[in-house]
This record gives sequence, C-alpha cells and structure tokens, in this order.
Amino acid sequence: MRHAADRILSLLLLGLAAFIAVQAWHLEVPFSYDPVGPKAFPLLLAGLLALLAVVLFVRPGPNGEWPSGALLLRLLVVMGLLVVYAALFIEAGYLLITALVSVAIAWLFGASPLKALVGGVLLALGSYLLFTYALGISLPTGSWIEPLLGAN
Amino acid sequence: MFDFLIQGFGVALTPLNLGLAFLGALLGTLFGALPGIGPINGIAILMPLAYTLGLPAESSLILLAGIYTGSEYGGRMSSILLNVPGDAGAVMTTLDGHPLAKKGLAGPALGLSAVSSFIGATVAILGLTLFAPLLAIVAVKFGPAEFFALMIFAFASMSAMMGKDPLKTLIGAVLGVLISTVGVDSGTGVLRFTFDMPELYDGIDFVVMIIGLFAVSEILLMLEHAFRHDQDGEMAPIGRVMVKLSEVLYCKWAILRSSVIGFVIGVLPGTGASVASAVAYTTEKRISDHDNSFGTGNMRGLAAPEAANNASAAGSFVPMLTLGIPGSGTTAILLGALMLYNINPGPMMFREQPMVVGGLIASLYIGNVMLLLLNLPLAGVFARVLQVPRWLLVPSVAILAFVGVYQLHSDLMAIYLMLAIGVFGYLLRKFGFSLAPVVLGFVLGGLMEENLRRALSISGGDLAILWQSGLSIGLWIAAAAVAFIPLFAGRLKAKFLPARSA
Repeated sequence: MRHAADRILSLLLLGLAAFIAVQAWHLEVPFSYDPVGPKAFPLLLAGLLALLAVVLFVRPGPNGEWPSGALLLRLLVVMGLLVVYAALFIEAGYLLITALVSVAIAWLFGASPLKALVGGVLLALGSYLLFTYALGISLPTGSWIEPLLGAN
Repeated sequence: MFDFLIQGFGVALTPLNLGLAFLGALLGTLFGALPGIGPINGIAILMPLAYTLGLPAESSLILLAGIYTGSEYGGRMSSILLNVPGDAGAVMTTLDGHPLAKKGLAGPALGLSAVSSFIGATVAILGLTLFAPLLAIVAVKFGPAEFFALMIFAFASMSAMMGKDPLKTLIGAVLGVLISTVGVDSGTGVLRFTFDMPELYDGIDFVVMIIGLFAVSEILLMLEHAFRHDQDGEMAPIGRVMVKLSEVLYCKWAILRSSVIGFVIGVLPGTGASVASAVAYTTEKRISDHDNSFGTGNMRGLAAPEAANNASAAGSFVPMLTLGIPGSGTTAILLGALMLYNINPGPMMFREQPMVVGGLIASLYIGNVMLLLLNLPLAGVFARVLQVPRWLLVPSVAILAFVGVYQLHSDLMAIYLMLAIGVFGYLLRKFGFSLAPVVLGFVLGGLMEENLRRALSISGGDLAILWQSGLSIGLWIAAAAVAFIPLFAGRLKAKFLPARSA
C-alpha cells in the first residue's frame, strides 16, 4: 500500500516523459546555427525522466501519510479560498478580500470565530498600512468602491 | 587581491546597507524561529518586495543574505525550546538541545548555540574570503564543456547528499530542468511548451515559481500539521540566556571541527545546512562522546550542528559567487534574485561586479556580529514568536505571497500560476521529494542547456568535446565518485544517525 503511491507516480512521470518527447519532436525549427537545436535537450530530459521513472517503478520507496476525509476537505477548502482570493484580488480590492480570506483561513486553522474575525481584520488593515505607507506599494482598491467615492 | 573586500566594506558600511543588514538579521532570526518558515520561505516571500522597492542589486542581496544567515541562527530556538526544528538545518539541534532545555538549561543552551553559531559562521566567512577569489581565478578558465561537467557534478553531489532518497532527488532535479525549458528558446526563437499562452513566452517566472513552490505548499502542509497535532507541546522555560566561558572552552574542538566540516559541505554544490549539521553531529559523536551522553543533553552535541549549519550557509556562497552554481537550495534562490538584476554570477563577477561580491562578503562579517549581539540578550524575545498561533501565521504567509507576486506582475495569471505551482510543490513534498533539487534544476537548467549547446556548436556536434580537457575529465570523475556515495550512505546513516522522532 505504501509503495502504491510511488508506482502511480512513476506511471505519471512516464506519461509526462512521453508527452514531452512528443511535444519536443513536433517543434518546428525554422533554421538553426547550432548542431543541437532546441529539440535535443528536452528529448534528452524526457529520456532521462523515463529511465528514472522505470527505476522508481521497480524500486518504490515508502511515502508519508496522505490526507483523507475531513483533512482532505479542509485542504481543498483552503485551496479554494486562495483561488477566490486571486479571483477577487483586483475586483473586490485588497482590504476587503484580504480581510475576508484571512478570517476564513484563521477560522479553518482552529481559531475561535471572534479571534478569527478580530485577527483577520487587523491583519488586513495592518498589512495594508504597512504595504502602502511604509513600503510604497500600490494595492488594488477595488472597482466597487469607486462609484461610492464618486457619489460623495 | 583583497581589493574587493576593502571596496566591499565601503559598500556595506553605508547607512542604507547597514540598516538592511540589520533588518535582514532581525527578520531572518524571526523567520528561522517560526516553525515551518525557514530561510528559503523567508527569502522567497521577501525577494519580490526587495526587488520592487527598487533597491540596488548589492543592497537587495545584503538584505536577502542577512535573512539567510539569520534564519540559520533562528532555527535553533524552536529546536531547543519545543523539540520542533525550525527548518531542515536545525533537525540535529533538537537531539541535544531539547534535552538540555528539559533539564532547565534552556538559557545556557540558547547562549552556547548562539556562540557556536557565531564561531561557525566566522570560520566560514574567513574561508569564503580566502578561497572564493582563488576559485574564481581557476574558474575563469572554464569553457562551456567544463561548465556543463560542473553542473553534472553539482547534480551528482546533490543526489548523493541531499534528501532521504537519491532517486527522487534526481527526478526532482530533472523536473526542475524541464520547467526551465518552458518559453522562447533563446537560440532559435522557437516556442517550447508554451501551449499558446503568451504569459509563458518568457518562461515560468522565477519569483512565481519560488513563491508557489515554497510558500503556497507550506500553507497546505501547515494545515495538515495543525490538524494532526493540535498542540506543539509545552515550551520549555527559558531563564537567563547566558553562556559560561568554561562551557565554550569545553566545546571548543567540537565547534572548530564542525565549523570546518560545515564550510566544506557548504562549498560542495547542491548540499546545504541539513547535510552539514548531520555530518558534524555524527562526526562529533564518534570523536568526543565518551560516556554515551550524546542525545541526552550533551553541550557538544548541541554546539556541533549549530556551528556546522551556520558555517555551511557562508560556505554555500563560494560556488555561487565564483562559479554561478549554488551551494544550497537557498543560494539557488539568491542566484535567481541576482539574475533578476541581470547579473550573471560566475567567475567574472569578482572583476565585473566587485561592489556586489565585496559588499555581500563584507556584509556577512557585519551581519554575523549583529546576529550574535541580537541572539545573546534577545533570544528570549525572539522565542516569543514561537507562540504566534498558526491561524495568524498562515494568512500572513498568504498575504505576503499574493502581494509579492502581484507587485511584480499586476496580473492575475501570475497569481493563478503561483497557486498551481503551489499544489505541484505540495504533491512533490507528499511524495517525499525535497524542493531544493527542483529549484536547483530550475535555476541551472537554462545555463546547462546553453553550455551544452555552445560546447557542441564549437565542436560541430561532436560529443567528445565534453571530456577533452583535463579539467572536465576531473569533474566527470568527481561526479562519478560522488554518485557512488549513496551506495554506502545508507549503511553510514544507520550506524550513526539516531532515529528521528519527527
């Protein structure tokens, strides 16, 4: 069982090597001054990777524990949060989205709701002040805030 | 011959650079002390900020090098106080450091480890000052064939010395080299592996790669860790941080031997602090453990790995500055940082960029003294950061990662790519890979291909050019010799290394 992960990995690596080899083979090189060109190096690497993958298949090593159940779910949720963070980073503006994501992550990492709320909001505010005023970095303010500012 | 050093002190002693050296020492100690954030993470997170602040190359390198050396100091704190190594280089420090703390000797243990860190780093910085210019003179004679052989040697010594599994170290390095081939081929203008995405034409950006690989994957690992072990255990009370002269004298040979071991291992391309401290510890155990008290709180068992890991940090600058081949995962990142400034590290750097090389080396001397002064009286203050809860640490890492990448690219694609690389890094780590070989492969890949192709175009495609000079033959032999070490390493490890509890 513990060796199964390495065997799966080795098959994936073999697939990757094959993919690279095919891609490299189909590169169209218009002209080339050097005798090797851009194809040879990836082909060489693909061959090496395939060889190493075969060795891994024959001699797999023990792996660590893989997350499952609730832990896996949490990992996916954190990844999802980071994707949301990325997606809304410019739209929602740094302050708002950073606060929301920080609170959510803090809560997922086991802080009590109140601590998560206070900590996340302070973190967003503090980092905003640090980045904009101390380091002179401009951060997105968010497109929703501009009409509000204009109305005032 | 040492003009660069005089010039360097001129650079390092400007108020800005002194301030940055201090900031680096301070932040580095903090990063080292925080569990899970070692030198690589610290530098990965701060590199884009240093770059966007518009600091000149030497200033930014002084800051980043300060973080590197500082975190080798800081890593010992959680090792001693919590029995949790702050980073890979501090694993061996737990073996005798934590038992000392449990005996109520946390204060003296912190004091002694600070002093031995200082001595180890000093010995190695002196070694760097002496040997780097000499090596640079030899390295000027390197042609493309020699450089290619040298990189093969770097990968061979890395796979022999680093990580639990030499096979996976090699696979990781190949993956890193493969990632470096993405983008426009500089020789012909052909697009490789870009999948019609214009964002990939310039290749995978170094900062995006490093932050994704280390910072984002660390977030996922920290979540796992927090979930599996709800508490990190009790922190040992510190007491007064102090060290008696008699204690330092008791350890003097252990410290000096380990400093030399650490320096030599640091110089070897591809190997870093974790190997240095392990070798130093096992050597010292063999030589001076007369009553079998290593592992139960022997002062020498604490001093040896601490001297060695700090010495290796300074030592790993030697191949980076003279050959353009990083001595450790962390110097691989520093190398990438230099490339952001369009500086190609290598033998010509001593002549072409004396300000950068000299400034860096001079700042290591200065930073090392600052670190000793910071770490003796203030160890107790730094130790408080160990109590920063994970739920605050993790969003902070995420924020720094996002702002860092956004600052450089103002582009959502770069952030998505960073996240994807983060998942890739997490999977690699779960499969038992260390990330340093991947970074090394990524940083060296471009150079490796360039040198191979240049060598072969000189010879008109004849592979024999790769082993025609005495120098390159020597490097191939060295690479082959090093590659056979793993065959014996397993036996050596079983003999000398006690089982790890982590």
